[in-house]
Amino acid sequence: MTALSMFQLVSLLLLALGLFGVIWRRSLVGMLISVELMLNGAGLSIVASGQLTEASGTVGHAAALFVMGLAAAEAALVLAIIIVVAKRYGHIESARLRTLRG
Amino acid sequence: MEILAYVAFGVYALIILLGGLIAVFSRNLVRALVGLVLTLFGVAGCYLLMAAPFMALMQILIYVAAVSIMIFFAIMLTKPPVGGEEQPGRPWWVVAGCIVAALAPTMLIARVLRFQPLASHEQPKEIALMDLGQTFIEPYFLAFELISVVLTVAMAGAVLLAFERRQGQ
Repeated sequence: MTALSMFQLVSLLLLALGLFGVIWRRSLVGMLISVELMLNGAGLSIVASGQLTEASGTVGHAAALFVMGLAAAEAALVLAIIIVVAKRYGHIESARLRTLRG
Repeated sequence: MEILAYVAFGVYALIILLGGLIAVFSRNLVRALVGLVLTLFGVAGCYLLMAAPFMALMQILIYVAAVSIMIFFAIMLTKPPVGGEEQPGRPWWVVAGCIVAALAPTMLIARVLRFQPLASHEQPKEIALMDLGQTFIEPYFLAFELISVVLTVAMAGAVLLAFERRQGQ
């Protein structure tokens, strides 16, 4: 097994855990944690591809940094949305959020 | 040295697996967050193994420091039931559905990995930070500026969304 496929397998593991968690978790915060797991797997996979193949390593670094920036922006927005939901409904359980009125 | 690298990789992979399992299965949300932080440290270790110390540093600065504290604030501000516990107990078909949904895309990619192995260097490349900076200010300048705009808009939007007007104003 090559070094690249070992790192890719670890990122696949992160993807599987994240996907499982997004469906398994009941609260919005738990789902956010799972999404962060998946984004980390994506970053790991991109950097591994940049470092261990003929592809440009600097572009791999840059792409992973973009993923990190987007993850930070996403976390900030989701935090705000969770706070609004908690204020309006008094809980953050995804299965109980059924109202779609403005 | 070769064997040492494999041992380090095994340790990091184990840390990632353990942290991920805690993050997904722990009923207490704060414990799940600690599991996530463990995983993030494991991924930072993998970056170090790939000769990308700058990425490891960014991982620790952005994820471990900023994002995890933001998630902690989310747990704290939403006041979940004592200790952030989630309700236990699920019917078996939900468990089966979760496993199928997680494994279906993963197994597909794993099959591709297995049967279309990519040529891989044994030694990772060394990237000079100067080159990375050059990449950001020359070919990818627009993307770099756009991501700053996205971050600013996201932060402003978050403040606007969560803003609470004081009583009597």
